[in-house]
This record gives sequence, structure tokens and C-alpha cells, in this order.
Amino acid sequence: MKKKLVSLVLASSMVLSLAACGSDAGTPASTDGGQTTTEGTDTAAKTEDKTDGDTAAAPAGEQVLNVCLASEPASLDPALNSAVDGATVINHLFAGLAKWGQDANGNIELQPDCAEELVEGVTNDDGTVTYTYTLKDGLTWSDGKPVTAGDFVFAWNRAISPETAADYGYMFEVVDGYADGTLNVKAIDDKTLEVTLANTVAYWDELLAFPTYKPVREDVVSNDAWATDPSTFVNNGAYTMTGWEHNSVITLTKRDDYHDADSVTMNEINFYLSDDANNQLANFENGDWEFIDDVPTNEIASLKDKYPDEFVTAGQLGTYYVCWNINEEILPKSSSLSGVEKERAKDEIRKALGLLIDRNYIVNDVAQGGQVPASSFVAMGLTDADGSQFYENAGGNSFRGYYDVSEDAYEGNWASALDTLKKYYTFDDATQQFTDFPTLTYLYNTSEGHKAIAEAIQSTFAGVGITMNLENQEWATFLDTRKAGNYSIARNGWLGDYNDPISFLDMWTTQSGNNDVQFGKGANADVKAYSLDITDLGYDTKVEDGTWSETYDVLISDIKTCTDPKTRYALMHRAEDLLMSTGCICPIYYYTDLYMISDKVKGFFSSPLGYKYFMYCTVTE
Amino acid sequence: MNTKTLMYIVKRVLLAIVTVWVVITVTFFVMHAVPGGPFIGEKAVSESVMKAMEAKYGLDKPLGVQYLTYLSDIVTKLDFGPSLKQKGRTVNSIIFDGMKTSAKLGLIAAIIALICGVILGSIAALRRNRFIDRIIMIITTAFVSMPSFIMGSLLLIAFAINLKWFPANGAAKNGLVLPVITLSLYPMAYITRLTRSSMLEVLGQDYIRTAKAKGVSGVKIIFGHALKNSLIPVITYFGPMLAGIVTGSLVVEQIFAVPGIGRAFVNSITGRDYPLIMGTTIVLATLIVIMNLIGDILYKVVDPRITLE
Repeated sequence: MKKKLVSLVLASSMVLSLAACGSDAGTPASTDGGQTTTEGTDTAAKTEDKTDGDTAAAPAGEQVLNVCLASEPASLDPALNSAVDGATVINHLFAGLAKWGQDANGNIELQPDCAEELVEGVTNDDGTVTYTYTLKDGLTWSDGKPVTAGDFVFAWNRAISPETAADYGYMFEVVDGYADGTLNVKAIDDKTLEVTLANTVAYWDELLAFPTYKPVREDVVSNDAWATDPSTFVNNGAYTMTGWEHNSVITLTKRDDYHDADSVTMNEINFYLSDDANNQLANFENGDWEFIDDVPTNEIASLKDKYPDEFVTAGQLGTYYVCWNINEEILPKSSSLSGVEKERAKDEIRKALGLLIDRNYIVNDVAQGGQVPASSFVAMGLTDADGSQFYENAGGNSFRGYYDVSEDAYEGNWASALDTLKKYYTFDDATQQFTDFPTLTYLYNTSEGHKAIAEAIQSTFAGVGITMNLENQEWATFLDTRKAGNYSIARNGWLGDYNDPISFLDMWTTQSGNNDVQFGKGANADVKAYSLDITDLGYDTKVEDGTWSETYDVLISDIKTCTDPKTRYALMHRAEDLLMSTGCICPIYYYTDLYMISDKVKGFFSSPLGYKYFMYCTVTE
Repeated sequence: MNTKTLMYIVKRVLLAIVTVWVVITVTFFVMHAVPGGPFIGEKAVSESVMKAMEAKYGLDKPLGVQYLTYLSDIVTKLDFGPSLKQKGRTVNSIIFDGMKTSAKLGLIAAIIALICGVILGSIAALRRNRFIDRIIMIITTAFVSMPSFIMGSLLLIAFAINLKWFPANGAAKNGLVLPVITLSLYPMAYITRLTRSSMLEVLGQDYIRTAKAKGVSGVKIIFGHALKNSLIPVITYFGPMLAGIVTGSLVVEQIFAVPGIGRAFVNSITGRDYPLIMGTTIVLATLIVIMNLIGDILYKVVDPRITLE
């Protein structure tokens, strides 16, 4: 019950504080395309109007919705999909144990879907937790065969199998047996599914609604191409796929055999496939499409004026940030510092440079999409142990986060940053410029939005005599360069996979594939400059000046095995403290999502992870 | 057809095959030399997943082996392999789907360009320096100098957003109308100008004057004598025009979201979908080589004075 309550609070706080409908545009699982946007509180009210209204009214006439999320999805196989647009289509086609839905007040909450109810887990003697789910009666696949507990067992094990090579196989990491390659999931009988988790997982119910957790049937997926054509596509959700013209349109038609078909009001949904924001906008403006998930960055300002009710900006679990290569030498050549002192100095310098950046200016005048200036890495929208916002509690300061991002504080930040930098570099009072700051290079992927932000930072630094050159690379090349650590400063962004801060923190362990900063790698592998003391939280770990792997990596593995939610969240705050103390992560803003939805459409909502739900929509003429 | 012509054609076909082979080889190695890979994303996949995928698609083998396997698959089975990005789909089916749309788009555009271009060019030539000629010349100058992405955007705003006569989405009903117009305007304008100047030249020839003197009707002069000869430059333009339409469709397909091969080509590169990059490159290169070949051969057929070397 407690868990349910937490998720309820979490979901509703998300709705209120994040302005309800989260979503993503373009290539959703990446932060590649420029910026996403919000209008903050304004939208909250607006979206509530949308979600509250008219859903109950019986739809008149043919209910057909034409929408566009992105281009052709890479895959509609639940195990192989890793994009938000693909997830949205999958959510309309497949029913997992749980789903995101709306309560009577229009707030977004987790609801049972195939499961009778989202039961509480039973903790076993060895600390593992067992959940026993009963499937609803009469569940069927689109070809009429019954859905069984065994289908779930098969689908979940398939997702983690190396042969499947699923990007999101690690979403099952929390299930017991993951490391051995066979999940501790059993079909007691056709209707009873027993799952054992390695330990308590705060966001387990949310995982059950994740696309990778949807069932598939063994005989169906034995055909490699099953998920590419309506004739071989077998699913168990609210819709059947009745057409897929590749690169053009996917047509879903309501499935009357779906167990909750009565509440599905939209009879047909056409998912048009286009990744060109200008083209999406053209189709929205001429009335052909009722929903588009992407708009041209340079049109944002005018669209907000032109379509005040239809242009929606909403919260998203993500942070746009700048990251440093931790091994980059930034001290002046004349500096004699070495060892721990040198590392401390570099940390201090990086943090000072971060303070020079005017995030309010970037948000209001450069990005212009109503993003929220960031003062921590774990994004706005993720919840803390008590249901409050994690980012508001971060840093332990009187202001939110690790530095004060309010507009009034900027002057003070600037002055204190200059004082710090003056300790290490020669400052010419006459010109107000540093004279011996090494030249920096800022790497970003080719996009007008990223370029504009890079230029804003460049000109800020130039104001104090720091030269920063800009270099841009095409997306795939950029990713390669950044991952390999062949950069000094790079634009970066991260979107959470689920509402738990760990999805922002475990990426920075030494061996993580997302460790772009190169913590604990290269020269940093031997650097002993990190301290960790969690004895006050009941652990033995107390390290003074240890390596990254002796501190951060240990902390993350402690978090992953921690069963007490309160301690776990406290540990996660410690992890972020350690992360932010290096100055290698310089958050700029919290991502927001923008989309356009026709005012003729009622009953639309989206989940905190940006999945869009069209099944309960109605279109009025 | 004499032996000389036949020899020429055989030689050209062999040369075309060599050209395509060079394109394949260069593309293959350059593509693998470019940083980034098909399985790299903003969110890193685990090493075991990466290894499993590379093994599945044979990307773990030495590049030379991959190259030879690839060549033999194309030559023996005409199999371009699986797409690395659109999971479960083969490159053959992606290209086939894309070509259906692109070929329709390109052919209609080419036919429109040819017919309208020749008619407008003839009218302009026959009404030289009159009002209609001036108008045609001004309009064609505008079309020739305007890049297709601007033309496409203008048509989109005018006819799809403001007037709402046609959809902005190339996949919808009548969706190909605007892309076809965008794609055909440049070659049409070019052909108009070509036809006009070459017809003016032909009309000044002695045999035309003779025909006129003998009292042959104007229509007969145009269609029986002048047109055929003034079309020679137009036919030489045939190859480049189709090549231009193929490459132009990359832009047009993007603007109008047409599900054609051009879009598949562009997306394959950004996604490092190796087999799809190769497949689309080979198909487009082959197409261009064949078009040029046909153009050259037609050239000979129309004008027997031209010797083929």
C-alpha cells in the first residue's frame, strides 16, 4: 500500500509541478535535436482542462485521430524498442501487467492492466522480494489465442538474452537471476505469475508499465520480421495494427477483444511518420494532423503567440548540461600544483566556470522554450523519499540545488567565481581579463539550438578573457568522440528511463558506457582525491582521498542493494554531492517537452516519461 | 544497328559495371572509416549486447572479409542484407518500398518536364521576342535559379498551408502533387530554354527556309522538320536531368515527407546503417549510370552524324 501511495503522490506531484503532459519529440530517447521546452505553470492549468473535459461523452461519428510523433520507429517489438515514439505506439498495441492511466481527477497514475491488481511484494528471508500477480480473465492476443503467464515469462527472458541484443535488457537488472541470464520469473499456472526481485525496488510498479515489460508470444516472435508487417503482428493491447506503409503511416484500429475496450473511445489512430519538424508543422497548420510531437526550434516564439492553447510545453525527466573531460588540463602552465591539490584546484575552477554561465539568459533569450534553469544534475520531476522533488532537496543549501540559479544571485555568483579563478590565473585589473587561461574547445553536435547555447557560453567566457573555440560534429561522430573522451568540454543531455534518481547516477560509475566525463579512466584512474563517509547512514564505508572507483562506484552499488527507501534516497543525494563536487557536470537547464495538439482533441494525456496516450481521446468537430 | 554501335554499347556497359564497382568499393571503405557506428546511441548499450549485435550482423569480422562477403552476396544473390536500424527488415524490401514511391515521383516529374519544356520552348522560339516569349523566359529564369528546397517550401506554404488545396504530407492522397511540381520545375525550365535556343538555330537553317519556300505549312515544318532536330540537345540533357531528379528528390522527399528512397538514403547515413547505405548508394549510382548510358545511346540514334567512340 505504501508503495502505491508513493507512486500516487509521485504521479500527482508530477502532474502539478511538471505541467502534466510530458513527452518527447523527434528522436526521443536521445537529446540530440536542439531543445525541448515548457511554459511552466501556465501549462499545468491548460493541460488539466484538456484532460478533465468531455471524456465521458460518447464520441460522435467516426473517431479517427491523425498524429505524428517521429519518423519510422526502429522497431515495434517491445523488447527491441528503445525510443519514446516507439514506446507510445507499443503502449497502444500491447498490454503489460500495469499501465499509465488517469484517475477521476485527471491525474496520471499507475493502474493494473493485465494484472488483476498491482500487489505488494513479500520479502523473503534472504532479502529478495516476491510478487505474485493474477492475470485478468479472458485476456486474448489479437489472433484470438489466450494470453498466459508463460507469455510474460518468455518475453522477459527473451529481452535479457544476448541473442535478442535488446538495448533495454538492463531494465530487468532488478529482477533476481538477471546476472545469471535466467530471470526468477515463474508461471505458476496460466493465470498466475510469480516474480522475485533481488531486493526492494521503489519503482517496480512503474517498470511493469515500461514497454520492455510487455508480453510477446514465442511462436509469433520466432519469425524475425514479425514486428514489421500487420499480417504477422500479434499483440494483446487496445488496438490492432491494420496497416503499416513503411516510412509513411502506421494505422491502428480499436480491438474489441481488449479487456478494457469499453473505455477506449478512439476507433482509429494514424501514426504518420515524419522526422521533419517543418513538415510536421505544415500538416498541423493545414489541419491534416491533430497532434505533432516536434516543432521547428526557430518557430517556438511565434508559435507560442499564434497558438496559445494548442502549443503545449510540458515537463520531462531530463537535464541539458555541459560536461568536462576530467583529464583535461586546465591549470596555467606556470602552476606548480600536483596530486590531490591539483585535482581540488581543477574541481574548483570548473565549478567557478559553471557559475559564470547565466542560465536564466540561456533559457529566456537563447532557448526560449520555457525551460527551467538547472542547479543539479538529477532532473526536475524526479521524486525524493517523501514524495517531494529530489532536485529541490539537492545540495543541502538554503536555495535549491548546488548553486543559486535565481536571477538575483547571478551577480554574486559571478563575483565569487572571479575570486576563485583569480587564485589560479593572472587577472589584469585594467582590462578585467585573465591573461593566462588556456584555450578551451567546446564540442557539440550540429544543430542550431546547441550552437546558440555554445555561443552564449563562449561570449560569457570571452568577457573575462577566456578563449573557448567551438567545434561541431555530426551526431554519430559526436557520440563516438564524446564517449571516447576525445574532447575538453562537450554539450550533453540525459533523459531518465524511469522516475528514480538512480537512472541519473549509475551512469557515472567507472565502467559505465555513459561515463563521458571519464571518471576513473585514463589519468583519473589513479587520482586519489575523492572522499566518502556514509557511516552516519549505517554503512562502514569511510574513505579519505580515494579513487573514483573506491568511492563513487562503491556508493552506487550500495544504493542498488539498499532496501530502506529513506536511506537509499539519502545515499543518492550523497552520490550526487560527490558528482557535483568535481565540477565536471555543469547543468544548464531541465529539459521540457513541447508538442502541438488541436483544440478539437479531448481526453489526451501523457506519462512522466513522455509516452502519449491517444486511446481515450475524442475528436469534436 | 551496325557492329560499331554494338561494340560501343558493350564497351559502355562494361565501363558502367566498373564504375558501379568502384562506387561500391569506395563507399564501403569510407563508410567504415567514418567515426560512429550503427549501435552507438546517446545511451550506451552494454558491451555484451554490442558484441552480440556485431556478431549477428558479421561486423566482428575483418573488414576485408566483410567486403568480400558483401560483394558475393550482391553478385550471387542480389541480397543487400538486413537493415541494422529498422529491425527485422531487409535492405531489399526497404529499397523496393522506397523505389516504388520515388520512381513514381521521378518519372512523372520527368515526363511533365519534358512535355511542358518542349512545348513552352517551341512556343517561345516561334514567338521570339514577343510578349509570350519574354514571359516564358522570365519565368524559366526564375525556376532555373531557384533551389528546390526554396521552391518546395514556397509551394508548401502557398498550396498546403494557406490554400489547403494539397496535403503537406507526401504519403497522403494527392500528396505527390506538390513534390512532383517542385521536382519538375527546374528541368522543365532548363528544357524550355534548351528547346528555344536550339529551335531558333534550326529555324534559321537552309532546309527550313527551303521548306517554307516550297509552301509547306507551318505546323508541318515544326513537327516534321524542326522539332526532331532541335531536340538533340534536349536528349543529351536526358541523362543529367534524370540524375538531377534522383538527387533533387533527396531534398524534396524531406520537405514533403515522401516515403521514398531519398529519405531512406539520408537517414541511413546519419544512422550508420551500413547495409542500407550500401544498398541505396548502389541503386542510385546504378540508376544514374544507366540513365547517362541511355542518354548517350539515344543521342546517336537521333543524330546519325555523331560518331560513337
